[in-house]
Amino acid sequence: MRKIPEKYRQWLLQELPILEDTGILSAESRQPLEDYYSNQVESRAHWAAIACAVLGTLLIGGGIILLFAHNWENLSRIARTGLSFCPLAIGVALSALAICRGGTGLCETAGIFHSLAVGACIALIGQTYHLPSNTPDFLLVWALLILPLIFMLPSTGAYLFYITLICSWSGAAQNEYGQALGFWLLLIPAVVHVIRLIRHEAPSELLSLWGLMLMLPIALGIVLERTVPGLWIVGYASFLSLSGLLGLRLFPTKSGWRNPLQTVGVAGITVLAYIFTWQNVWHDIGWSNTRHYGNYQEWGIWCDSVITLGLALAWALTAVKARQRNSLPTLILCSFPLLASAGFFFAASSGGELINALLFNAYMLGLGLAYLTQGCRNTQLRQVNYGMAVLGLLLITRFFDSDFGFLARGLAFILMGSCFLVTNLIMARKKHQLGGAQS
Amino acid sequence: MNWRIILFGLLIVAQVAVPLRMIQHHETVLREGELFRFKTEPIDPVDPFQGRYVWLRIKDDFVPMSEAAADAIDYKTTGYALLNLDEQGFAKFSDWSSERPTQTTNYLKTKSRGQAVNWEQLADGTRTRVHKGLGIDISFTRFYMDEAKAPRAERLAREATRNEDCWVEVRIFNGKAVIEDVIAEGQSLRDLASIEE
Repeated sequence: MRKIPEKYRQWLLQELPILEDTGILSAESRQPLEDYYSNQVESRAHWAAIACAVLGTLLIGGGIILLFAHNWENLSRIARTGLSFCPLAIGVALSALAICRGGTGLCETAGIFHSLAVGACIALIGQTYHLPSNTPDFLLVWALLILPLIFMLPSTGAYLFYITLICSWSGAAQNEYGQALGFWLLLIPAVVHVIRLIRHEAPSELLSLWGLMLMLPIALGIVLERTVPGLWIVGYASFLSLSGLLGLRLFPTKSGWRNPLQTVGVAGITVLAYIFTWQNVWHDIGWSNTRHYGNYQEWGIWCDSVITLGLALAWALTAVKARQRNSLPTLILCSFPLLASAGFFFAASSGGELINALLFNAYMLGLGLAYLTQGCRNTQLRQVNYGMAVLGLLLITRFFDSDFGFLARGLAFILMGSCFLVTNLIMARKKHQLGGAQS
Repeated sequence: MNWRIILFGLLIVAQVAVPLRMIQHHETVLREGELFRFKTEPIDPVDPFQGRYVWLRIKDDFVPMSEAAADAIDYKTTGYALLNLDEQGFAKFSDWSSERPTQTTNYLKTKSRGQAVNWEQLADGTRTRVHKGLGIDISFTRFYMDEAKAPRAERLAREATRNEDCWVEVRIFNGKAVIEDVIAEGQSLRDLASIEE
C-alpha cells in the first residue's frame, strides 16, 4: 500500500469538491479519486512521534541499565539474578506486542528496548558473578541474540544496534585475538536487510544505508591485518569508489544526504586524495616491507590481498558498467583507484614518495578546479563550494608544509596565481568582445 | 504469521538460555569448586554496563618455569595452570599443561602472556631484570561493589595490601574460577567498606 503524509491527503480531499464545482473534475472522475485517497492510501507514519518513542525508549533502557549498575548489595544473589531478567521480559513482551499489532513506532520502541535489554541481562549476570570483562565475547553474543529482531519486527533501531555491535566487536576481537575475520560473516545479515529495504523502497532505507556507510569504512580499517604496509591504499580507494559508483547507479536522481553511497564515496575519495598528498604515506610500503612481528599475522598477506582484490574486482565491474555515464563524479570515481593503485605499486617497487605526493597534489588541484568549473558552468552553489573547499584545504596545507622547500613552494604559488589571473584576464576579454559584438 | 511466532519463540528461548547457562555454570563452580586465596592489589574502575568494581591485580600471576621453557610457549596459547598452596596457605600456580589435567580439578584454564619478569633494584641503584616464569591471563579480576562503597573499599584494601593483608577468595572447579569474596584486614571488603559509614 502506498504511503503519503496525512496533511497532503486531507488537503486533496478538501480540494476535490472545489475542483468539481469549478468544472475541472466531473462527479464520475471525482468519486474514484475520493475513494482511492480515503480508503486505499495508508497515512504515513508520523516521524516526530516515532523519534519521541525511540528517544524515550533509549532513555528508559539506559536508565534501567544505570539503576542496575548501582549494584544493590543488599539484595541476595538469587534476587539480583532474577531482577536481571526483568528488562529482558519487558523487551520480549514489547516485541510480542509489536509483532501482533505492527506499526513503525511500536516496532522501533520494541526493537531498541529489546536490544538494550539483552545486553543489560548478560552484563548484570556478569556483575552478580564478578565475571571478568571479555569484551569480544560479550559483544558477539549480544549481536547474535538481537540479530533476528531486525527481520522479525522489523526494526531499524535494532539494525543500528547490530551494526554498531559488530563494528565494536571487530575492534575488540582484533585487539584480543589478533584478527576479526568473522566480521565479514556478521556483515551479511546487515547487507541483506539493506538490500531488502532498497528493493521495497522502505522509508527507513536512507537511515539504514547511512548507518552501514558510516560503519563500513571504520570496520574495514579495523579488519584489515595491515601485514603488507600500504595495501589499504588500494583497498580503501576501491571501496570508496565502488560505494560512489553504486550510489550513482542505484539512486541517479538523488544527491547529498539523500544518497549516502555517493556522498560517502566522493567525500571519502577527497579525504583519501588529501592524505595521499603527504610523502610519509608512501614511505616503506609494499610486499618488501611485510610485517612479521607482534600482532601482525603471517596469513594477513593473503587475507588482505583477497579482501583488496575482491573490492578492486567489484569496483572494476561497476566502473565498466558506469563508464557510459559521462559525468564528473563518474570520471573521478573511475579514475581514482587506478591512480591510487599505480601510486602503491610505484612506491612499493621503487619508493617514489615525492613523485606520488606531487601526483596527488596535482590530482587534488584538478579535482577542486573541476568541481569549481562545473559548479560555475551549471550555477550549482554546492559544487562551487565543494571545489573551493578542496582547493582551500590543499593550498593552506601546502603553504605551511615544510616537506617542500620555501623556494619550490613560493614558485609554485606564484605560478598558480599567475595562471588564475591570466585565465581571469582571458575570460574578461572574451566577455568584453562578446558584449561589443552584441551591441 | 505462524513462522514469525515460531521464530520469535526460538529467539526468546535463545535469549533466556544464554544467561541461564552462564548462571548454571557459575553456580556449579561456587557449589563444587575448591576455595583458594590469592594475594591481590585492588584498584577501583568503572564499567558503564556493570557498574563500579574493584579491579584485582593478582600478585603471583605467573607459572614458575625457565626462560627457555616460557619462550617455547606461544603468546596467547590456551593452556591449564595447576594450583598449589604455599606455606601460608595462599594459592600459587605450580605448573603449566597444554592438555586438560585429569588427576585434579584444581587448575585454571587460561592463556599464556609471554615471559613474566620483575625489575629489582640493586644496592648500587641500578635495576636488574629477574625472570619469574610464564605470565598468564587471570580471569578473576573484577569484584563488583555498590557504587558508593567501591572507592572507599579500594582505599581500605590498598592500605591492607601494604600490610600483606588483602586477598581474594576464589572457587575453582575444572578450570573455571568464580570470586566468592575479597578479604582485607581479616574481613569481607563489603563489610569493611560499610563500617566506615
